[in-house]
Amino acid sequence: MKILVVDDFSTMRRIVRNLLVELGFSNPLIQEADDGENALTMLRANAFDLVVTDWNMPNMTGIDLLRAIRAEPALKGMPVLMVTAENNRDQIIAAAQAGVNGYIVKPFTAVTLQEKLTKIFERLAASGATA
Amino acid sequence: MNAQVSTIAGEPLPQELHDLLNSSDGAAFEQALDVLVRQREQRMFRALGLLARDLHDAVRRLGGDLAQEGVPGSVADARQHLQDVLEMSSQAAHRTLDFAERMRPQAEAVAENANAVIDGTAEGDVAHVLAKQAQSFANECREGLADFVVAQSWQDLAGQRIKKVVNFIGSVEHSLLELVSLTGALANGEAAAAPVKVTSQDEADRLLSEFGF
Repeated sequence: MKILVVDDFSTMRRIVRNLLVELGFSNPLIQEADDGENALTMLRANAFDLVVTDWNMPNMTGIDLLRAIRAEPALKGMPVLMVTAENNRDQIIAAAQAGVNGYIVKPFTAVTLQEKLTKIFERLAASGATA
Repeated sequence: MNAQVSTIAGEPLPQELHDLLNSSDGAAFEQALDVLVRQREQRMFRALGLLARDLHDAVRRLGGDLAQEGVPGSVADARQHLQDVLEMSSQAAHRTLDFAERMRPQAEAVAENANAVIDGTAEGDVAHVLAKQAQSFANECREGLADFVVAQSWQDLAGQRIKKVVNFIGSVEHSLLELVSLTGALANGEAAAAPVKVTSQDEADRLLSEFGF
């Protein structure tokens, strides 16, 4: 499974990568982008199966990236998991309305990440089966 | 009509105006009104002038105070210090992550080797007992190292706050700069036409240094 990890902090990208590897995802298939703009370029150029993104980033924020993904026919079905320190109620609602697949508030643990990922893939499988 | 005018002005009309209002000489009335308005304008400009001078002095004093603070020597320095903290904390977190990433495969290898020894030895055997201890320790290490990794997210959380403060200092600096150039323009009797914009930090520093920052 190809995963794109988007965060302007290299530390957090590395932590998320470590957690994903810990959960059994292949390290070489995980790629990183430092803002929404670069992420969008990478998503257009290569096929990914999952995006894990931060909210607060320069140039293009995570919520704008999410909206851009949903607005683009080739990308709109992409599962997007938001991992952010933003725990403002309005922001969580905005993310939900923009079609986020999961929302994790930092700081978080591997267990939380696993739970949310499992939920995302279960839902996707269910909607795939009924479609 | 007279009563209405004096109510709007909030004070009684000067006798001269009052008399003129009742006269039929429209031109003389307008002239008298002009004189009155001009007098009021002059009073306002004088007050504004005093205010501008006070403001200018206050900003100059502020500039002097900031320059005498020593460390950090300037607002830009303060921002740079925070950037350095951000960079240093990032490097420290990465070093810790290096360590965790290096140790984890080793812990996994020990757990695997111990497993092979456990399988190949009889229970009660010294090697068997030792291998079991090693396996348990290796597993503990693996979990501990994973926690280690997650614990480094402090750098991201603290770093985001530092970034916010850096941006805040930047906007304070920008406002100060605008204030300084505005009071400078007022003190020199120039009209503060368009808002002054600076496009680079160098430009900002240059301009600030002119005012003793």
